[in-house]
Amino acid sequence: MRRGLLAVGAVFVAAGVLVAAQQAAPYRAPRGPDGKANLNGIWQALNEGDWDIEGHSAAPGRVMALGAEDAVVPGVGIVEGGPLPYLPAAAAKKKANYEKRLTADPAIKCYLPGVPRAMYLPQPFQIIQSQKHIMMAFQYAGAIRTIYMDEHTPAPADSWMGWSNGHWEGDTLVVDTTGFNDLSWFDRAGNFHSDELHVVERITPASPDHLNYEATIDDKKVFSRPWKMSMTLYRRKEKGARLLEFRCVEFVEDLIYGGLRKK
Amino acid sequence: MIAHKLFVGVSVAAVCAASLSAQAPSPKARPYVTSKTPWGDPDLQGTYTNKDESGIPFERPSQFTGKTNADVDDEELKELIAERAKAAVQRAPGIGGADTGAGPTHWYENYGAKNSRAWLVVDPADGTIPPATAEANARNAERARQRAGHGPADSPEDRSLYDRCITRGIPGSMMPAIYGNSYEIVQSPGWVAIRYEMVHETRLIPLDARPHVKSRIQTYMGDARGHFEGNTLVVETTNFKAASTYRGASEQLKLIERFKPIGPKAVEWSVTLDDPHTWPRPWTFAMNLTKDSSQSIFEYGCHEGNYGLRDILSAERAADKTSRGGAEDVKP
Repeated sequence: MRRGLLAVGAVFVAAGVLVAAQQAAPYRAPRGPDGKANLNGIWQALNEGDWDIEGHSAAPGRVMALGAEDAVVPGVGIVEGGPLPYLPAAAAKKKANYEKRLTADPAIKCYLPGVPRAMYLPQPFQIIQSQKHIMMAFQYAGAIRTIYMDEHTPAPADSWMGWSNGHWEGDTLVVDTTGFNDLSWFDRAGNFHSDELHVVERITPASPDHLNYEATIDDKKVFSRPWKMSMTLYRRKEKGARLLEFRCVEFVEDLIYGGLRKK
Repeated sequence: MIAHKLFVGVSVAAVCAASLSAQAPSPKARPYVTSKTPWGDPDLQGTYTNKDESGIPFERPSQFTGKTNADVDDEELKELIAERAKAAVQRAPGIGGADTGAGPTHWYENYGAKNSRAWLVVDPADGTIPPATAEANARNAERARQRAGHGPADSPEDRSLYDRCITRGIPGSMMPAIYGNSYEIVQSPGWVAIRYEMVHETRLIPLDARPHVKSRIQTYMGDARGHFEGNTLVVETTNFKAASTYRGASEQLKLIERFKPIGPKAVEWSVTLDDPHTWPRPWTFAMNLTKDSSQSIFEYGCHEGNYGLRDILSAERAADKTSRGGAEDVKP
C-alpha cells in the first residue's frame, strides 16, 4: 500500500519536472517569410466551450426529438478560475438567456458568432498571415476577421465580429478587438456581453500543430473584473483538409420567416 | 520655386500616365511589373474598389459597331461617362435620397463613376455574349416552368439568393453595385484570400495545383484553384451549385479569372465563362479594380439585418388578405 502511494508520488514529481522543463524551454515556431512566427494553416478548437464556456456536466438537449444528438457534451470549461464575475443584473440576464436558449441563442439563427466564440465553434477556420493584414476566415456562416497589423485605427462602428488591431510580442500574436455590438453570445448556455466588450487575444505557437490561445474579456457593463479563457487550437492535418461552405442562412429561413410563407 | 513647379509638372505627367495605364492597354505599352511578396509571388495585396466601373454595359453599344474598346478615344469615353453619370442621377430617387427610406444619395457609390471602358465583353471581338445553346434554353425554360404559378414572394425561395443574403456568387460578388464595392486581397505562401464586402464573402484560393474537390461537393462560390502566370494571378473555379451559377450557366461551368496588374494602383480583372452546356464558345469580360486604401472593408451583416426580406414577405401576405377581401386586417 505504502509502496503504491510512493509510486503515485513519483509520477506526480516526474510530471512536475516535465512541466517545469517545458516552461524552461519555450517552443520556437518555424518562421514565416517575414521572420515572424508562422501561424498559417487550418485550425480548430477541440473543446466543449461552445456548449458552455464554464465547466459543465452532460445534460439533456434543447430539442427532445433530437435525443442524444442534441445533448450537452460535458466539458471542464475554457474559463480560467471561475465562476464568471457577472454583475448582479447581468447574472440575472444570463439566467434568463439560459432559460430561453432554444430561441435566443443568436447562432441558432445563423447570425455571425462574434469573438471569441468564432474561435471555438466546432468548425475549422483558416489563418492567412501577411505582414500588414492577417485574415481569419471561418467556415461557420462565412464569418471573417481582418486583423490590421500596420495601421491601428479605432472601430468605425459596432459590428458582430468587432474591429481588430494586432501586433507581435515575440512569437505571440496579440489581437486587440473592440467595436462589438451587444448581440452575440459566448456559448449556447447564454453567457453574454455588452457593446462595451473588449477582447485581447494572445495566440502563441506551442508545437508545429498546436497554438495556445488565450482571450482576456473585459466588459464593465457585464462583469465586475476582466477574466480569461484559454484553450489549445489544433491544426487540421488530414489529407485534403480545407474549409468548405457552411451557409446556414437557408437552413434557418423557415425558423425565421416560416410564419410569412403563403399558406 | 522652380523646383516646386518642376515637381508639379512631373506629378501631372505621372497622374496622366497612371490614368492612361488604367485604360485598355495598348499593344506598345510595356507590361507593368509588380513588387514581390517576401516569398517571391507577385504582390497583389491591398484594398480595391471597382465603383468606377458602375454602369458599364456588358455588350458593345450599337454606336461602336466595328470597333474594339481600344478604338474608343478619350473624347468618346468622356462623353459616355457623362451620359451614364446623368442617367445614374436620374435613377437616384428610386434608390436612395428621396422618399424611399433608403438613405441619402451620398451613401451610394455608383454616382460619378469614371468608367475605364465603353463595354465589358472583350471576347468575342464583336463585344457580344454568344447566344445560349438549345440545351441552355431548354434548361432555363424548365426552371421557369417550375416557378410558374408562384407569386413574387410566396416564400423566401421565390426571392433571389442576393435578397436572401445567401450569396451573389462568382463573378457576381465582384460586379459593381450601388454600395459595398470593396475587396481585399491578402496573400500567404501558397494562398491568396479575397474578401468581398457585399453580403460578406471570402474565397481561399490554394496555389499548389491540388485537384478540385469531388464533384459531389458543390458550393455557391465554387472551388477555386490559382496560379501565377508572370505577374497575373489566374484562378480557375468549378464545383458550382446550379442555383448560383452566373447568367444561367450550368453547374459544369468552369470560370477562369485573371487578375492582371496594369499599374501601381490598378488590376485588370477578366473573367472567362467556359461552359459548353450553355454557350457554344467561351466568352470573356473585363474591368478594372483600383487600389484604394481609404475603402477598408467593413462587416456587412447582411442576413443579421435583413429586414428587407421580412418586409417583402409580410407585405405580400398583407396583399393576399386584401385580395381575399380582408382589407381591414391591413394597416397602412
